[in-house]
Amino acid sequence: MKHWKTLAAAAVAASFGASALAESIYVPNLSYRTGPFAATGIPLMNGQKDYFEMLNARDGGIGGVKIEFEECETGYSTEKGVECYEKTKGNAVVTQPWSTGITLQVLPKTNVDEIPLLANGYGFSPMADGKTFQWAFNAPAGYWDAASMLVSHLDGLDGGLSGKKVAFLHLDHPYGKEPVPLFEKKAAEMGFEFLPIPVGLKEMQNQSAQWLQIRRERPDYVLMWGWGAMNAGAITEAVKTKFDMSKFYGVWWSGHDADLALVGDAGAGYKSISWSFPNADAGVMADIKTHVVDTGKSLSNPEEMAGVFYGRGVVMSMILAEAIAGAQAEFGTGVVTPSQVRWGLENLNITEARLAELGMEGMVPPFSTSCANHTGHSGGWILEWDGGKFVKASDHIMPDTSDYAELIADKAAEYAEANAPWPVNEACNATN
Amino acid sequence: MIYRTVGQFKTSYRLDQALFPVRQDAFLLGVILIFAWVVFPLTASEFAFQTLLIPILIYALAAMGLNILTGYAGQLSLGTGAFMGVGAYACYKLITIFPWMNPIVAILLSGVFSAIIGVMFGIPSLRIKGFYLAIATLAAQFFLVWLFEKWAWLYNYNASGAIQVPNLEMFGVFVSGPQAASVTQYFIVLAIVSLMTILCINLTRGNQGRIWKATRDMDIAAELIGINLMKSKLTAFAVSSYIIGVSGALFVFMWRGAAEPNLFDIPLSFRVLFIAIIGGLGSIMGNYLGAILIVGLPVVLNIVPDAMGLDIKSATVEHLNIMIVGALIVFFLIIEPHGLAALWRLVREKLILWPFPH
Repeated sequence: MKHWKTLAAAAVAASFGASALAESIYVPNLSYRTGPFAATGIPLMNGQKDYFEMLNARDGGIGGVKIEFEECETGYSTEKGVECYEKTKGNAVVTQPWSTGITLQVLPKTNVDEIPLLANGYGFSPMADGKTFQWAFNAPAGYWDAASMLVSHLDGLDGGLSGKKVAFLHLDHPYGKEPVPLFEKKAAEMGFEFLPIPVGLKEMQNQSAQWLQIRRERPDYVLMWGWGAMNAGAITEAVKTKFDMSKFYGVWWSGHDADLALVGDAGAGYKSISWSFPNADAGVMADIKTHVVDTGKSLSNPEEMAGVFYGRGVVMSMILAEAIAGAQAEFGTGVVTPSQVRWGLENLNITEARLAELGMEGMVPPFSTSCANHTGHSGGWILEWDGGKFVKASDHIMPDTSDYAELIADKAAEYAEANAPWPVNEACNATN
Repeated sequence: MIYRTVGQFKTSYRLDQALFPVRQDAFLLGVILIFAWVVFPLTASEFAFQTLLIPILIYALAAMGLNILTGYAGQLSLGTGAFMGVGAYACYKLITIFPWMNPIVAILLSGVFSAIIGVMFGIPSLRIKGFYLAIATLAAQFFLVWLFEKWAWLYNYNASGAIQVPNLEMFGVFVSGPQAASVTQYFIVLAIVSLMTILCINLTRGNQGRIWKATRDMDIAAELIGINLMKSKLTAFAVSSYIIGVSGALFVFMWRGAAEPNLFDIPLSFRVLFIAIIGGLGSIMGNYLGAILIVGLPVVLNIVPDAMGLDIKSATVEHLNIMIVGALIVFFLIIEPHGLAALWRLVREKLILWPFPH
């Protein structure tokens, strides 16, 4: 029976791309468990998958409808990503593109195919403008949020940022370059010196030139926007050059346990801003353990499950599951359509109380989205590596969204103009 | 039996030199063309257009461009990806500076820029050969990709550093950008690729093709019989880069919709080179066969386990896929080192003699 069902699904997806399967919600994930970024991808994908497995086993899905969570392997390649998108879009209620390259490819198609695009904490920062990007979401936080939070955190440390020198070690790629305009603006306003140091895709593993420059320039802080092999490369190089780890901060994609475990105690003091935190005592983790791990359905292991990335994967799936549940409640239906899920994503309201109900206390800050605000700007915490694991090292920090509201609007308008005709949501009158 | 040539008499030189001296070949090509122009557009799904038909045609065109240079003129090049990038960025700039320009004209023009850059990087070929030339073209590869990243004017100072294809209209129909229908894009790609193929076949069969082949086979001998090597090599670079540039413009405008600089990095060059080598150097048809094997087969293999109802993890499928495609490449190269085109030639010869082999 199951075979016939998957056969039908494959036939439908492959050749006709029509009619949804009865009584289940198809949630594809463009995963990457192979290729150069697999090490960082696997814990995230496992977290995402295990949460939906847990919902299926514990509650029989969402609102009684089973979630058909399926991965399509991209290996982080844009070309495979587009292949996966075409393969899954027939029945999908959401697209989780999982790479900036794939996001850029799929984003222009969202208005035509009308499938919401969910890029939790990555993708294109101007997607926060929900009026322009009706179908794209990057809840709970974008890169400009991260930059703003880091700047305000550093400003609160000894004597403020004025007169300091901040080096910005980033991947020379759309992802790494994205926060630069905001940093430059803040540097001019607050009077600190901003020094961008790009790391080319080919030199991710060998950053001696960049760290030589850091040693020569003697910055007060180093901020890092890295991904994949670049993080481990930077952290080992920082240890080798005896850089003071307490002055070294990363974005949330640069806070992977395995990268820090390489250097162990020598990395103690390294910090990363994050909108998620792995709470091993949370109710949801216990449920995942009983319903997924103990029944042998999980691909993860206890060490990985205690890490930041696995916990983040769980939070990502929770956000999507909440959107689906919200859509079901609003439209009074079990099997939701992509446009109903879009409504759900636009009307997320994750409160402390709701998090407690879900058994996810302290795993993500509360946030809410609206038709104008597709990010939610949840804020986050500074996580510090203590030599063995990441611990919370700050209270909840909020970004100052007024700093870049204009930037978001400008870049969104620019995008819409370049892609004309680009319909915008005229009905929405909330403000970002 | 099917390929019996009995009764097909050649009564004039013209007939003897025809493109298809054997009638069955022409018939076979006719069937393929009917499939490409009529059957596929009517039956293919969005998935088939986007992952099989359009990319195979575009990659085949890129490999054809490389084949002119490497297969016919004998100049090894590792810069194909970068030259595709030149075509793509040139097309993007043309379209954004002159928004009234017809997209097809822009695509065909963008090849000119690629040709100019190609000739510039081809100049070293006058002094160096073989692997040394490959290194010189590798320099083009690194330099151009670096330029795509650093020269913000090329991507109109976009914050993301990527180029995004706008919605372009032609006679009231969207031909590129997210609004365009796959079938329209397919027809445009097919038309341009067909045009380029006819051009290539005639170029390589004619005087110019013979000059290139002479250069490839022994350049000193070629020089002694009066061939101007500089002209021969540089025209090969120009024609090859023109075709590669057009394929790069199609790659971004008719298929990908967006491109970041590292898309045109060395893996793309290798991919096109593999298509040309596995298809068969010095053959036009080989490019199509190679593209089907390298671009099309993995996509088909990916949907097989699903279609058979096997419950295999997507990551496992990907691993299997890489192994199977790798094994097939080795297999084909062992049974016919000169590529798939040579394999087909062999099969055809056997078929003509069948069922009475000598």
